[in-house]
Amino acid sequence: MSGATQSIGFGRLSAWLLRQLSRPGASLLSLASGGLVLTLLWAIADWLVFSAVPPLADPSACVEAAGACWPFWAEKSRFILFGTYPFDEQWRPMLVSLLLIGLSIATGQMAVSGRWLNIKLTAGLWLAGIAASFALMGGGILGLVPVDATRWNGLPILLILSTIALALALPVGVLLALARYQTRHRLLHRAAGAYVEIMRGVPMVTLLFVGVFVLPLTLPKGTAIDPIIAVLIALVFFHAAYFAEDVRSGLMALPAGQHEAASSLGLGFWQTARLVLLPQAIERAMPALVNSTIGAYKDTSLVVILGLHDLSATARMAFSDVAWGNQALEAYVFVGVWFLISCSYLSWIGRRLAARAAKGRNRSA
Amino acid sequence: MDRKLPPPHAAHDGPPKTGPAVSLSDIGVGLAILAAFALVAFNVHSNMTAAGIQPGFGFLTQQAGFDLSETLVPYGASDSYLRAILAGLANTIAVALASLVIACIAGLLLGLLSVSTAPLARFFALAYVELFRNLPKILVLLVIFIAAVNGLPAIRQALVLGPFTISNRAIYLPWLSDDPRNTTLLLASLVLVPAFIWLWAGRAARRQALTGRRLPVLPVAFALFIVVPGVLATALQAPLGLSWPTLEGFSVEGGIALSIQFCTVAVALGLYHGAQIAEVLRGGIEAVPSGQIEAAAALGLRSGQTTRLVVVPQVLRTVVPPLNNQFANLLKNTSISIAVGYSDLMSVAGTAINQTFRPLETMLITMSIYLLLCLVLTGVLNHWSARIRAREGRDGR
Repeated sequence: MSGATQSIGFGRLSAWLLRQLSRPGASLLSLASGGLVLTLLWAIADWLVFSAVPPLADPSACVEAAGACWPFWAEKSRFILFGTYPFDEQWRPMLVSLLLIGLSIATGQMAVSGRWLNIKLTAGLWLAGIAASFALMGGGILGLVPVDATRWNGLPILLILSTIALALALPVGVLLALARYQTRHRLLHRAAGAYVEIMRGVPMVTLLFVGVFVLPLTLPKGTAIDPIIAVLIALVFFHAAYFAEDVRSGLMALPAGQHEAASSLGLGFWQTARLVLLPQAIERAMPALVNSTIGAYKDTSLVVILGLHDLSATARMAFSDVAWGNQALEAYVFVGVWFLISCSYLSWIGRRLAARAAKGRNRSA
Repeated sequence: MDRKLPPPHAAHDGPPKTGPAVSLSDIGVGLAILAAFALVAFNVHSNMTAAGIQPGFGFLTQQAGFDLSETLVPYGASDSYLRAILAGLANTIAVALASLVIACIAGLLLGLLSVSTAPLARFFALAYVELFRNLPKILVLLVIFIAAVNGLPAIRQALVLGPFTISNRAIYLPWLSDDPRNTTLLLASLVLVPAFIWLWAGRAARRQALTGRRLPVLPVAFALFIVVPGVLATALQAPLGLSWPTLEGFSVEGGIALSIQFCTVAVALGLYHGAQIAEVLRGGIEAVPSGQIEAAAALGLRSGQTTRLVVVPQVLRTVVPPLNNQFANLLKNTSISIAVGYSDLMSVAGTAINQTFRPLETMLITMSIYLLLCLVLTGVLNHWSARIRAREGRDGR
């Protein structure tokens, strides 16, 4: 605490001031954006805390309050998550959500660490998880009360349509990528190419319409299909095209020597693909695959257009409750926070994988 | 994060082909595809005839019978389904263009902020980009829509801000008064001005290639914007008066109305894709090695010259392909308009399906239109960007 430190501190300050004065544009920008950031932060804090109605207050206070209505969150969170699923049975959608989140996080962590369980075991776990999800949601077995699919709402619908569609789309996408990568069977090569390009040239909403309205028409007379299953099938075929392109770009990036070496070892096409090409191609394509996954996960919320009640639909149902005035912002913020958390996790995986890929490239270079 | 289309010329088809023209596998695959199509066709036919509907596209000429809330091409409930689909297509293109403009402006501003020297500006841009990358676009759209409908005044208390009249039903702008000559003037200018600018730019480029002399392009373009409509107006004797929106009881008369649905879709997609464009630009700018800028400074180039001659050309080369993807994605994403009831192509198709119970035919038409739009857009953009890259490449050597 001598004069020396003070003078250094002062020297720093004056240097900083001089630097600011020497570039007025940047300083003004700093000031303006600082003002903007502070205003925004203040507005958020004010809405969330200072002008908000506390959770235990009387909900009627929400009508006049300028801030957030915490009682709404306290009361309606459960409804936004599970919608109109029978109240006493809501442990079932909760269990399904936890199961699917658990499977996704386990898969994500395996991707990040690069240490995969046996591929057959992983696939088996996913298939078991998918079967368990539908059994738990629908009931009718093991003494569970049957619940009509129209009452499957909220988070489990979002998770079923995103995680299950993506889990099933990945193998389809890999097969499509192989079909397009190989050139020995020319018509297969062309057909796979045409399929992928058409899927990627149309909006996802059109595919959802095809699933709900056209798919039932293409089934034999007298067979009915639930809209959730129809949408799931449409999503699998849609996402598969994007995955196929990611995997194919990984395949194209492999040196031709890999293929030739496998052939000279006497490996057949499937052995070459399974043992030599795909492991390397998928490793390379991982960051792109994660990107596609994030896009597909976010786009799953488009099913609300088809009248399936995912989170944004249950949010709308929650704030349309006339007993509560209009808490649209609260309801959508709830959904937004869920997406921010889950997408941030996926983005984190993507960044880790990209960093690892960059490190791998540096090492091999 | 939206999906990416492949770079334009990445698709090389592997090793050279050998063997006979048609192999056994081709025949097998062909038969399998044919069988699948035949099965689907048979099922569709039997399902539709069971419902008393004859499959086919004849319904397109029938009277649609539903009205659209807003149209750019003249359309009424007594017009045909074909015309309804065309009106929806025009609406799709209109909202795509509007959101494209917003997305480019937002993306450019945020992209520049995210590489600025002001840490707080960088923080703001980063927070914005992260927020929009991690939210579904439909949620963004629904929030903006509900905020606009609840937050903006009802039409009787419409807010008048200079030339704008803002209500929660529509935003009204002054517009050329309703006169066929004014419409002709507007459409003709929209075609002729870009055509003349394109011709002049081509001429200037050829001249520079031949003689090394630069012809003024930007000033001429600005002049054309004034001269062409002026000449046309005189030739057509267009009345040219502006019609101002005025509040009359329960409605606003005069001017043009941009419905709140149109505005929210344009703003939502604009903000959403703005974040992605900002990210693309940031990547492109950060990819320029700092040595380039130092070298430019060492050569004595001023800051503006460095930006224009050294930085921008290199940024353009890296950002143009991903930007093309963004534009194609934006076009496809306009199909979420149906969630707020804007009459775009997808929502016209949805209504047509409900009324005719012809989902197969309607979706075939709709998806073909989207596919065609996408192919044309990416084709044009890729052609254009290939030219930019070729030119930059030649200049660079």
